[in-house]
Amino acid sequence: MRNKQATRLLLELSEPGRRGAVLPECDVPCQHLENLVPDRFLATSVPNLPEVTEPEVVRHYANLSTLNMSVDTHFYPLGSCTMKYNPKRNERLAAFPGIVDVHPYQSDRSLQGLLRLFYELQQILAEISGLGAVSLQPAAGAHGEMAALMVAAAYFRDQGESRNKVLTPDSAHGTNPASAKMCGFESVTVKSTPQGFVDMDDLRSKLDETVAVFMITNPNTLGLFEHNVAAIAEEVHARGGLIYLDGANMNAILGITRPGDFGADMMHFNPHKTFSGPHGGGGPGAGPIAVTEKLGDYLPVPIVVKKNSPDGPFFQLEFDRPRSIGRVRSFFGNCGVLVRAYCYLLTHGGAGLRRVAENAVLNANYLLSRVKHFLPVPQGESCMHEFVASAAELKQDRGIAAMDLAKRLLDYGVHAPTVYFPLTVKEAIMIEPTETESRETLDHFAEILFRIIDEPVDLLHEAPHTTGVSRPDEVAAARKPILKWVANNPPT
Amino acid sequence: MPYLYNTPEDQRAMLEAIGCASIDALFDTIPEELRLNRPLDLPPAMGELELTRHITELAAQNLSSESADCFLGAGSYDHFIPAVVDYVASRGEFYTSYTPYQAEVSQGNLQAMFEYQSMICELTGMDVSNQSLYDGGTAAVEAVLMSMDVTRRHGEVIVAQSVHPEYRQILDTYLTSLPTKVVSVGCPKGTIDREEFAEALGEDTACVLLQQPNFFGCLEEVRELAEQTHAAGALLVVVVDPISLGLLERPGEYGADIVVAEGQSLGTPMQYGGPYLGIMACREAFVRRLPGRIAGQTVDRRGKRCWVLTLQTREQHIRRDKATSNICTNQGLFALRASVYLAAMGPEGLRDVAGLCLQKAAYARESFANLERFEPAFDAPVFKEFVLRDRQNRVDQLLTDAESAGILAGVPLGRWYPELSDCLLVAVTEKRTRSQIDRLVDFVAEDSKDKAPLHA
Ligand SMILES: Cc1ncc(COP(=O)(O)O)c(C=O)c1O
Repeated sequence: MRNKQATRLLLELSEPGRRGAVLPECDVPCQHLENLVPDRFLATSVPNLPEVTEPEVVRHYANLSTLNMSVDTHFYPLGSCTMKYNPKRNERLAAFPGIVDVHPYQSDRSLQGLLRLFYELQQILAEISGLGAVSLQPAAGAHGEMAALMVAAAYFRDQGESRNKVLTPDSAHGTNPASAKMCGFESVTVKSTPQGFVDMDDLRSKLDETVAVFMITNPNTLGLFEHNVAAIAEEVHARGGLIYLDGANMNAILGITRPGDFGADMMHFNPHKTFSGPHGGGGPGAGPIAVTEKLGDYLPVPIVVKKNSPDGPFFQLEFDRPRSIGRVRSFFGNCGVLVRAYCYLLTHGGAGLRRVAENAVLNANYLLSRVKHFLPVPQGESCMHEFVASAAELKQDRGIAAMDLAKRLLDYGVHAPTVYFPLTVKEAIMIEPTETESRETLDHFAEILFRIIDEPVDLLHEAPHTTGVSRPDEVAAARKPILKWVANNPPT
Repeated sequence: MPYLYNTPEDQRAMLEAIGCASIDALFDTIPEELRLNRPLDLPPAMGELELTRHITELAAQNLSSESADCFLGAGSYDHFIPAVVDYVASRGEFYTSYTPYQAEVSQGNLQAMFEYQSMICELTGMDVSNQSLYDGGTAAVEAVLMSMDVTRRHGEVIVAQSVHPEYRQILDTYLTSLPTKVVSVGCPKGTIDREEFAEALGEDTACVLLQQPNFFGCLEEVRELAEQTHAAGALLVVVVDPISLGLLERPGEYGADIVVAEGQSLGTPMQYGGPYLGIMACREAFVRRLPGRIAGQTVDRRGKRCWVLTLQTREQHIRRDKATSNICTNQGLFALRASVYLAAMGPEGLRDVAGLCLQKAAYARESFANLERFEPAFDAPVFKEFVLRDRQNRVDQLLTDAESAGILAGVPLGRWYPELSDCLLVAVTEKRTRSQIDRLVDFVAEDSKDKAPLHA
């Protein structure tokens, strides 16, 4: 029942003379183009865009959409990405004209409602993190990492210190070392122990006065709480360094423990994970950062401040912050994502957020208890919000790789977990159920996984079998890249 | 709690299966002394109804382009968004999915990405496009970093002062910890000073960053600037307004090496500055240094045409500190919106939008010029934006008064250009009607009466 005609490339659907949008007549006296713009600036032809009608556009994309799995339609236990339910009320509220049709250079006076919202969000994030100063500007987690590392660099410059290294555990997300590099730091890897924690001896051997920041993820990417985190922070601080907390896994600890209380100096939030922002097929996210008061002066500008006047509070953007690192993006931030996060936070309140964490951890441990009997979870006595299984034995014994399991899961109507991350676990299968899934869904998933493992090897190697395409040739794609459409390239 | 499933019975049963006495015990690995032993101090939880009331109240305190006539631009524009864009983008299968790590269940996203890349290439005249960066500003900076990588020149980059001031600020921030120097070229007449430009170009110039139409709305002599840039062995990075490409020459044709843009104009609402769409396209030769995700065409094991994420060895999840960028989560949703917008517009529609902007901006500019009080600050031809000089030097007061009358009249330039503190930047999109423009001009004419110029 698939409509293959509608999902041909737009280029192939295009017919000369068709069009979608029709614009109004020009209601001002129309002048000759050449009178307004000299010829040398003008294109000699219109851009070669597809010519399609509005109904065609709708049918094309509606049919394309059905080729995706999504949170709305499928269980999506993609580890590290916190694919929780995206509340529909947030969509309606974030689309009010007073929020969505607002220009970034409107005056503060004309935006008191929105600025109050952002001010309160700054306060809420400060409370959740236990870190007093917040910037909402960064556009995603990785961007927050970068902004915070720049804050650290500026702080050390002010202290007259030249520290050129950033340490990251080998289990860290790739954005950590990449962000360090972009900020001009040398990235140095710290080993993990077989139990999955930061190796204290290795850390000590690399920790000296050239280290600016230790970036730690806690709970870490194995879904374990780094119980040594306070000691780690103490040692790093003793050498004059700072602790950065990668907040991607905040879902596990909301209201239970706070980064500022376990020694972090800086952190980012991923509101698109923890606070339910829809992932949009790759983005948007946002990456607000929270830092200690002493680093607050270095945050990007502007931030929202509250001034009290006889007429009541006035919220305004503050630009005049001489120590600030400056800007890391244009305009205020990924406001649409931040508004949704605010709605999510107000929906839950303090006690509710704690219940989110409790149920995220309960669901993950429950699933772990169902899975670990048949699929090894090397560090998996218990976990926080996610756990990392390994197909290493399966691969060795029967030639079944993590990717084979991932692909076969698709046939059963669930999205695959994250595979091959973290790098410290061989054939890693990183499973994060989130709190917005039912026990039945978790049971169902465990049963599928159990069944798959006993399926014939060939069946797994060729999976998925029920999807429109199966095992795209990635090597060919990279060797001779075809990155845009060309005419006369009919579907096969 | 509205989004949770587990009933107390579920919880009990699950804890039993786990072999754990209580939910609290699940957190035993967190040392006691690190726990927060009090509830988070947040506003009380709200149901959907109370939340709706609350956000409605907050939203009502904001002026918007629905409640006022918006002539603000400077990188974010009040263009019309066809309903099909909202419809497609709000389909859950697009909206609530993530990066297409599993190509088989992401063909919708991947094909849409591939089509986006294709249309961006058609629009810009470039060979390859990525799938999005955070916004126009970070895209410009990533392009500069990429130029340094391509040319292996790290000494300096040349940036025109007619590039969006915030983009230049971001560049300064990013370059703080790197040895590269930013050489700024002045634009006293609204476009790049050609002599200063020629002098600035040197052997260690990695790239030239300019904007077309530039921040003041003026058109730069891009063709000649491109030639000079290339003669010095540097790359030309151009920031464009994608709407303008319905009429203006495509950057690939005049010699741009990397093209970046703020894609907000293509179907994304202004929403106070983000989330937006960083567009980036470049010449084929640089593809392996491009930051961000890229979709590529291939065949599956049955020989069927399909799409995958490709050239991933550029990216952080594989190359870590050797990656071309740290970007992971991007702005995919807005690339989708841009695609639907471009498909709905088609070549003629885009040309019509560009044409309407051009005509209406010209009409507004001339209407202002008829007023005693204003003169166009620059003579260069413009597209949809222009700078006015207020002979009374009362820009701030004028904007405040206009706002009270429900007109967002323009962006004051003094905060970025002290020498232009008596100037404002006015943008006119296809959404503005003649009567709105007339109302703006009438309002200003009225506001100007009986007022002596203000001198600093
Ligand atoms: C552990 C971890 N750190 C950092 C990031 C980067 O965040 P973002 O994708 O929002 O840039 C991610 C997510 O992708 C992550 O899982």
